[in-house]
Amino acid sequence: MNADSDTIVGISTAPGAAGIAIVRISGTESLAIADQIIRCNRRISSLAGNNMAHGFVADGNDIDEVVVLVFKAPHSYTREDVVEIQGHGGSICARRILSAVLRHGARMAEPGEFTKRAFLNGRIDLVQAEAVIDLINAQSERAASSAIEQLEGKLSDYIRTCYDKMLTAAADLEYSLDFEEGDLGDDYFRKIAELVENVNVTLEEILNTWEEGVLLREGLKIVISGPPNAGKSTLLNGLLGRNRSIVSETPGTTRDTIEEQSVLEGIPVRYVDTAGLRDASCTVEQDGVRRAKESIATAGINIRVIDGSAPLEASQKPEEWPNADHWLIVLNKADLGLVMRKSDFPVNLRCVECCLHDETGIKTVRDALKVMINISTGSTMPHATISERHRAMIQYAQNELNECMILLKQRGEESAAEAAAALRRATEKVGEITGHFYTDDLLTKVFSRFCVGK
Amino acid sequence: MNFEIIVVGGGHAGCEAALAAARLGAKTVLITPKKETVARMPCNPSIGGIAKSHLVHELQALGGEIGRNADATGIQFRTLNTRKGPAVRATRIQCDKAAYSKRMLNVLETTPNLHIAEQLMTEFLIESNTVVGVIMDNGELLYSAAVIFCPGTSLGGTIHVGDVKEPGGGDGAPASHGITEQLRELGFRISRLKTGTPPRLDKVTIDYNAMEIQPGDYPPPLFSDPLELPSLFHVEHPETAQIPCFLTHTTAKTHEIIRSNLSRSSLYGGHIVGTGVRYCPSVEDKIVKFPNHASHHVFIEPEGVTSPLAYPNGISNSLPRDVQDALVASIPGLASARIIKYGYAIEYDYSDPTQLFPSLETKLIKGLFFAGQINGTTGYEEAAAQGFMAAINAVRMVRNQNPIILRRDEAYIGILIDDLVTKGTDEPYRMFTSRAERRLLLRQDNAQFRLCGRAGEIGVVDQAILKETNIAELRIATEIKRLNSLRVGSHSCLELLRRPEVKYGDLPCALNSLSGRLVCELENRVKYEGYIMRETKDAARMSGIESTLIPDSFDYVSTPSLRIEAREKFLRIRPRTLGQAVRIPGITPADISILAVFLRRHSASIRNQL
Ligand SMILES: Cc1cc2nc3c(=O)[nH]c(=O)nc-3n(C[C@H](O)[C@H](O)[C@H](O)COP(=O)(O)OP(=O)(O)OC[C@H]3O[C@@H](n4cnc5c(N)ncnc54)[C@H](O)[C@@H]3O)c2cc1C
Ligand SMILES: Nc1nc2c(ncn2[C@@H]2O[C@H](COP(=O)(O)OP(=O)(O)OP(=O)(O)O)[C@@H](O)[C@H]2O)c(=O)[nH]1
Ligand SMILES: [Mg+2]
Repeated sequence: MNADSDTIVGISTAPGAAGIAIVRISGTESLAIADQIIRCNRRISSLAGNNMAHGFVADGNDIDEVVVLVFKAPHSYTREDVVEIQGHGGSICARRILSAVLRHGARMAEPGEFTKRAFLNGRIDLVQAEAVIDLINAQSERAASSAIEQLEGKLSDYIRTCYDKMLTAAADLEYSLDFEEGDLGDDYFRKIAELVENVNVTLEEILNTWEEGVLLREGLKIVISGPPNAGKSTLLNGLLGRNRSIVSETPGTTRDTIEEQSVLEGIPVRYVDTAGLRDASCTVEQDGVRRAKESIATAGINIRVIDGSAPLEASQKPEEWPNADHWLIVLNKADLGLVMRKSDFPVNLRCVECCLHDETGIKTVRDALKVMINISTGSTMPHATISERHRAMIQYAQNELNECMILLKQRGEESAAEAAAALRRATEKVGEITGHFYTDDLLTKVFSRFCVGK
Repeated sequence: MNFEIIVVGGGHAGCEAALAAARLGAKTVLITPKKETVARMPCNPSIGGIAKSHLVHELQALGGEIGRNADATGIQFRTLNTRKGPAVRATRIQCDKAAYSKRMLNVLETTPNLHIAEQLMTEFLIESNTVVGVIMDNGELLYSAAVIFCPGTSLGGTIHVGDVKEPGGGDGAPASHGITEQLRELGFRISRLKTGTPPRLDKVTIDYNAMEIQPGDYPPPLFSDPLELPSLFHVEHPETAQIPCFLTHTTAKTHEIIRSNLSRSSLYGGHIVGTGVRYCPSVEDKIVKFPNHASHHVFIEPEGVTSPLAYPNGISNSLPRDVQDALVASIPGLASARIIKYGYAIEYDYSDPTQLFPSLETKLIKGLFFAGQINGTTGYEEAAAQGFMAAINAVRMVRNQNPIILRRDEAYIGILIDDLVTKGTDEPYRMFTSRAERRLLLRQDNAQFRLCGRAGEIGVVDQAILKETNIAELRIATEIKRLNSLRVGSHSCLELLRRPEVKYGDLPCALNSLSGRLVCELENRVKYEGYIMRETKDAARMSGIESTLIPDSFDYVSTPSLRIEAREKFLRIRPRTLGQAVRIPGITPADISILAVFLRRHSASIRNQL
């Protein structure tokens, strides 16, 4: 749990909104932090309230050209000192600014925290309490689901492995403090130090792949699926503006999923073309269909391409559309005359009729996607924010692990208690990412590793 | 008869409770079946040890008796973890079991305002969800404004030796029946736990030559200030008469005997349902769960100066008697040792401690407090800490004062009680230093200093002692300033003292007038300054939510935006502060944000009504 006295930061514009991105800092340290990261002809803290300045955000190298707005307590939204940094649009820039602010001591705002502070500091009328609460609820739901998305796959495996190793090291260290009264020998503590070092290397790797992997991890996943030969690959190529996937009149051309990154509405997206859905006979194709289904299940947005010029076999037309808001139906090959129409689908399903062979058809699909993106990503909790939260946590953990390691290497047993305190802070932080509770996990680990007691 | 406070059960919780209440001037009665068995130690006759020692030092600072009682009746004194820094350093005193009870009884009997009734309590007197007194075995009714219930392991106690079981409260005490039923009727959730104890050996039949000797430390480390120690000594002064412990181990043969008789153990034979202690496992447990260990330590500890018994620490079990005989004989030095009392396991009832407020008053019945093993804890020190705090808060309740709740960053006692009432426990709860978030702040050596203010607020400790602590505090601060101003070469004395290898006595400017205790505290503060500051800062960050009180009148039911799960948990635990609410398992930061917003509105609307 975080304190209300911390200085907090968040991205306060919609991820896709064109033009500018606003990073908002609130709390006693906000002016000091702004002074450290903004290069400008005057110190930000010397500005009077309700003033603005032009400058560059720099943390090492220049990050972005920005306009900075300063509001001084109590004349601000939260009634604390607030600095708003307006950078160029796009989540990447906003994220870099955010990251610089975090490095200088602010912490990531929790969902709805700015508004909560405004309320707690008496800025917002009591009548509005309900609204504040709805906001917290809505945002925390979105944050939770995005966090899970974030942690899919490899990254979460890595972090979980790290947590487990940290817990093992902590258990060994705690055992030495809470149970063992005899001499464990220097080797015992050296081994713990090595384990901690090993975790630190993995965390470093995770951070290193952060930037390059960021699009892959964070891109909104848009999956194109449908019966064979419907025009899925044609759509992928159209959306990308280049020929990425093989198009042919033979059904079953695409046999594996094909992923490609792009940007739509200013946010990174990941298009996935899939194998046509049918009861395939050859194993390669069966595999492709299985993978297609997996992709559909994990998609942020699903596009179902259907050849509208021919009647659909019953088996191809699902009666139920779970998560109807995540689906876009594309009735393709309108140029051949449509025998299926929008009206053949449930009214709550988004559906377009078009010909993907021509540019206007592609545009129809793209426009429909833009509307969906703005709904699905919501306004203030971009994916970038969440990953930045994780990054800050991992960096914090790394610093603590370093301290732990140095203490153990230099003074072994004599510094075990201080080393354990650092390791605990690191493990708790990583546990926040994986959703673990330190003390309980720790004791379980100790008791499974050691035969303690008399 | 009318009293202000009734304490039921003269174990470690009950004795501390009765003394604290009486010392605060409340007219108190302690109901216990037999005077001679007060403060008995059914298991290992030692007080302290890692983390438990911290509890004892804290009780000593606040005005408890357990520390002084151990000091006065100790037969072996040791400091544990001497090489691992002050945060985990701990005192452990092996006591003369008989003397321990005898001295405690003497203290109880000579404390003004305190009466002892040698009876079993059989029933609570309840009127409209408020306790008004108790009924005793002899039919007599006692009335009071508060009852502190400390029955230990005797509620529904069942003793197991192999497949033989019989009712009993442990260590020869009777089991209490009927009370569990009344508590259930009142709505309490009650479950089963289990614990066990090793056989006791005839100490003259042991061959000590086959074992490693473990002498005590000189000078003996104590819980109380040696100068304050009362003249009452039942045991020869330790400095001339410490009694050593001995170390031996189990063998391949021991393990073989246990393995081939597992089905006859009451634990593994399926006779026991209660959850046992993971950190104090029976020897059966050790061998099943750690099959790769070829051998386990067994410490031979004397039970007293004149007692014929030795306590073989490490072979707690509930095997049939013939197996216990063979098991003991397979251990080096015990080939011809005679068992005087056989080991056993005990199953007993405990009440889910989340049914308590942090004051230890039950949420269901006003004026009824629970302390000790009934709350799911194990250990004399854990029991004593609860007994003391329950009494303080019972007396305060009677006097219409707010309860005193120690914070987690202030005392292990605070951690113990917060864990119990917030998270509950499904295995016997024991204190560990790793339960403390900020271990470097909670040293045993600084207990007297960090709790001086609280001791004043509580009012059991003599004002003169608190004044001395304040003076000592000042002396340390002054001395640190002085060391900072004196230079040796290019360094200040303070900088020199920060080095791990430098002791205060090594400094050319060291004062002889500082006592050993002050020197120790001064060294800790200087050497660990960085770490201590870091943890102090972390604690201060959290002080906001820790001090945000949630009024008892807060209405969770008409707080519609809360998740249903969160609302149910808040309603069940009824956290006293936002900080406590955060620690309820399954509560999310968003739940807390919402609670904070509603609290604000709640307090504003109360203000408007005034
Ligand atoms: C067999 C056994 C093994 C143990 N092993 C360990 C161990 O290995 N490590 C450890 O830390 N702790 C151990 N303990 C636990 C430790 O003894 C207890 O935690 C501690 O004594 C609890 O203190 P208490 O005050 O709650 O209860 P007790 O010390 O049990 O005192 C309860 C007192 O209440 C009295 N009483 C009960 N019911 C009534 C009634 N109705 N009316 C009046 N008086 C009543 C009893 O006679 C007794 O005097 C063991 C306990 C037992 C029994
Ligand atoms: N007439 C017409 N033909 C189209 C249209 N869109 C795609 N096609 C053709 O339909 C055929 C199949 O297109 P693909 O894009 O390969 O279809 P697919 O769904 O990926 O097929 P799979 O190989 O099963 O994955 C190709 O010959 C395309 O040229 C359209 O709008 N009109
Ligand atoms: Mg294709």
